[in-house]
Amino acid sequence: MLGKFLTPKVRQKKTLLSVAKAELPPDGALVYREARVALMRQGESVYALNLVCTHLGCTVNVTSTGLICPCHGSSFDREGKVLHGPADRPLERYQVEVVGDCYQVLV
Amino acid sequence: MITDFAKHLFPRVVLGKNLKISYTLCLGGLAFTCLLLLAASGLLLLFYYQPTPVAAFPSILFLESSVWGGRYLRSLHRLTSHFFLVLIVLHTLRVVLTGAYRRPRELNWLLGCALLMLAVFEGYTGYLLPMDQLALWATQTGMELVQIMPLGDLLRSVLVPDGVGQPMSLLRFYVLHILIVPGSLLLLCFLHFYRIRKNKGVLPYL
Repeated sequence: MLGKFLTPKVRQKKTLLSVAKAELPPDGALVYREARVALMRQGESVYALNLVCTHLGCTVNVTSTGLICPCHGSSFDREGKVLHGPADRPLERYQVEVVGDCYQVLV
Repeated sequence: MITDFAKHLFPRVVLGKNLKISYTLCLGGLAFTCLLLLAASGLLLLFYYQPTPVAAFPSILFLESSVWGGRYLRSLHRLTSHFFLVLIVLHTLRVVLTGAYRRPRELNWLLGCALLMLAVFEGYTGYLLPMDQLALWATQTGMELVQIMPLGDLLRSVLVPDGVGQPMSLLRFYVLHILIVPGSLLLLCFLHFYRIRKNKGVLPYL
């Protein structure tokens, strides 16, 4: 019983989505509003932003210049850093892995 | 010395009347059992609790959702702490109603009062640890109350040097809750029991 108590279930990372490399345009973004995630590419770096606003959890809109929350007007730059509030923390990032010729977003 | 101590833990002869349950209702004994249960369940909780403001509540959510028996153990700890206080108060009531605080047991009465206050303080320090809304505001209330006591400002700045729910104060409450207060409780408990033995049991007339 003690052994059972001391060995907790550790959550395995799940693949949220899998995107072919060719689909992601250079310096562009792919937005998945239902999954609340955006896959962004800037030069060589590829990253996934969690679109849940760090203020009160609305889904932020991705525009050509940055990300803007429709609820209280928080805005973030393309990297997810806060430009102005009320949000006070940058958008969360998900881990992105390259598998074959696909990008996989892990949650 | 230790074997001598163990030899004398129980008296050679015991008055039959001393063992009658209807006199004490074993309230103190039950409270001590609660204390032991709290120590055991608390020891297991230590394996998962993280005493930092950011990680405290998530660590409890993790304990309740992903650990086998975690929710049971936490509920047990919380419920037992309630019973602990209730039993101590009932025990105090019994002592008052049977006049057990009178000579020659004045010292044990004082020890008992100290135990009661320590138990309340132990409950209070444990209250903050989950870091949920109830914990935070209850502790805030307590600290406001402390402040109007004589020497309250000093006490407050020792207990919560950086404000309720901030890292240093959470750590202090944690250390008090798991080490200092339970340690003193146990020590005083043993003194309490030693005095019962010295006073030849619990009956009013020696």
